[in-house]
Amino acid sequence: MSEARTILHVDMDAFFASVEQRDRPELRGKPVLVGGAGRRGVVAAASYEARVFGCRSAMPTGRALRLCPTAIVVRPRFDRYRTLSEQVFAILGRFTDLLEPLSIDEAFLDVTGSRRLHGDGAAIAAAIRRSIRDESGLTASVGVAPNKFLAKLASAIRKPDGMTVVDEAFLRDALPTLPVRRMWGVGPALEARLVAEGVRTFGDLASAAPERLAMIVGGDPAQSLRLARLARGADDRPVEADRTAKSIGHERTFHEDLDDAQAIRAEIVEAIASTARRLRRAELSARCVTIKLRSPDFRTITRSTTLEKPTDRTDLLRAAALSLLERWLEAGPSPLRLVGAALSELVAAPPEPSLFEAEADDRRRAFDAVSDRIATRFGGSGLRPRRST
Amino acid sequence: MKVVCDRSALLDALTLAQGVTAARTPQPALQCVRLSATPGSLAVAATDLEIALRIGLAQVDVKQEGDAVIPADKLLQIVRASEDATLTIETAKTTMHIRGADSHFKVYGPEVKDFPALPGPAEKGPTCEIPAGSLRRLITRTIFATAVENSRFAINGVLFDRQGRKLRLVATDGRRLALAKGECGSGEGEHRCIVPTKALNVLVRLVDDPEAPIQIAADQGRIRFTVGIGEDAAVLTSVLVEGAFPPFEDVIPKDQDKRLAIDAGELSSAVRRAALLTNEESKGVRFSFADRTLTLSSRAPEMGEAEIHLDLDEYQGESMEIGFNPAFVIDALKHVDGGPVTIELKAPNKPGLIKQGQDFTYVLMPVSLP
Repeated sequence: MSEARTILHVDMDAFFASVEQRDRPELRGKPVLVGGAGRRGVVAAASYEARVFGCRSAMPTGRALRLCPTAIVVRPRFDRYRTLSEQVFAILGRFTDLLEPLSIDEAFLDVTGSRRLHGDGAAIAAAIRRSIRDESGLTASVGVAPNKFLAKLASAIRKPDGMTVVDEAFLRDALPTLPVRRMWGVGPALEARLVAEGVRTFGDLASAAPERLAMIVGGDPAQSLRLARLARGADDRPVEADRTAKSIGHERTFHEDLDDAQAIRAEIVEAIASTARRLRRAELSARCVTIKLRSPDFRTITRSTTLEKPTDRTDLLRAAALSLLERWLEAGPSPLRLVGAALSELVAAPPEPSLFEAEADDRRRAFDAVSDRIATRFGGSGLRPRRST
Repeated sequence: MKVVCDRSALLDALTLAQGVTAARTPQPALQCVRLSATPGSLAVAATDLEIALRIGLAQVDVKQEGDAVIPADKLLQIVRASEDATLTIETAKTTMHIRGADSHFKVYGPEVKDFPALPGPAEKGPTCEIPAGSLRRLITRTIFATAVENSRFAINGVLFDRQGRKLRLVATDGRRLALAKGECGSGEGEHRCIVPTKALNVLVRLVDDPEAPIQIAADQGRIRFTVGIGEDAAVLTSVLVEGAFPPFEDVIPKDQDKRLAIDAGELSSAVRRAALLTNEESKGVRFSFADRTLTLSSRAPEMGEAEIHLDLDEYQGESMEIGFNPAFVIDALKHVDGGPVTIELKAPNKPGLIKQGQDFTYVLMPVSLP
């Protein structure tokens, strides 16, 4: 990039929980857990008051309640969150057209071209935070930086309700000291390997010999090069304005390799159930179904199929994924360390069913709706078809 | 072969034959017509191997019997551009001479033997006879509902379902379904088959006298329509569409509890107007039925909105809103007779019905509205 860019990462603070506290004054200042209340429920969002006790999203509600017995559990209202999300995105859209939503509650903005009109990055960030607070009653944290990676890193530094500007001093003094776990793409397993080799900080990552880093990281050598580059704060990915979700996926890595065909099928069914529910929540339909299988020696196989028309029905997506799996199984199943499924070629809204499918469609949709409600309420994966074999 | 023929009769026959010839084919003979002169008549034949058409012309003077095969489009252009009342056609081997008062065209064609043999009469199968006008009416009232694009229900044909003298035609593209009922003059046994859309489009154009009889004979793989009698008769043979027609009777709603009657022309005009403010993304028109009024409304994002009010003489049932693709509604109204149609509904997510008398039933899926 020839000219220095100004990229903002706007991240709503504890979005679901904040919406509940906004709508219900009696929850304000109290630890709130949004999520399933049942025995197997999972926390979708925890208010900052609850986070003090160690409650985190994706944690089983039961565990969160043991950490914070006084927390109030609230059932999620996704429609409401979507409405407020739209309101917030409308505010962001006033500052630039180059707006890339990452999820319901965060987005990247490229405001390079808006600086003449709205002032520098810090001024724009301040104006955005003020508008969001005044108009939606919610708070957001913003990172201001020359690229997406640093902007996202920065928005997390002063949370909630804060702003961090990445400047020369930050790049020189703060960035190299960040622990490797803050690096995008470094999970617990890779973190442990890096730390064991003495690579603890961004500075260590940036200065590690490429061959050595490639050995530690393993897999594709491009991966370790990318990590080193990001650790130096270099990232030239553009903000993609028209980017809507391109695919929705779910995959799981096993502690022990899976080699039983029936168990592999069950994983695919599970992965599809989860992705299909996210698809419906986003009010999308998918035309392409992909399964992803990884062998213990890290060879990854993907198989895709394109449906006749887009759908959001679990049964149709499942049938497509399973038939892909069956074709792979025919060659003789081999052990797998990872099984996943992804839906792509996403389009808005399910197509109207044909006259001849309408009734079956109604039934399947009712089933999916019940399943979604159960999953939302109790966590887990909702209803599953009875095993036929 | 040498014949003197009436130019306008030849022009009509060639125009119809041209509709049958194959559009793209590696076999040049399939883009040709075959002329066969026998004592007292000339037959014009064309085929794309699925459909075959043979039209008899009586307005000819056959000087010499024989056969000739000639590119259909070129012969049609010549006959159409000519201004003579009669033309003389004479062939020598594969060259055709077409002579008018002041003109002489020489056109080269393939060998006669390259032209595929037309299918003979259908094997002995169930037959019926129906006035041409009646059959044409049944076809035009259904064929518009066949699928244009390739989809699961693009069967590219119309179901002929005959029991004795009762004939039903059914067409669907999966989103709407049209059913028309009629009566044959005579008919024995029962028969059910799917006739390709292309053949029916040709058949409709073959009808010039609504009173003329059409004989229908079918066997397992083919159907044959004989339009008219005697030397002027035209014979259209078509392969049948293989496969099963979707279970249409199951999707015709039987428990609609909201009912109204409305003038077809009035409704058609209103739907056309409401459709002006729809677009690709929001192509549904909202039909709001209430006591004595029907309100049509539409909205095209970033363009505008429309609202049209109609008075209803009667509306039985609770108020209801339902979305329909306006093009599908207009299609049906275009093909009914003037006067009232009956609309029957159940729920916003259930198919709607448009009926006229006992003979026309149209089922259409609603579309979801924002």
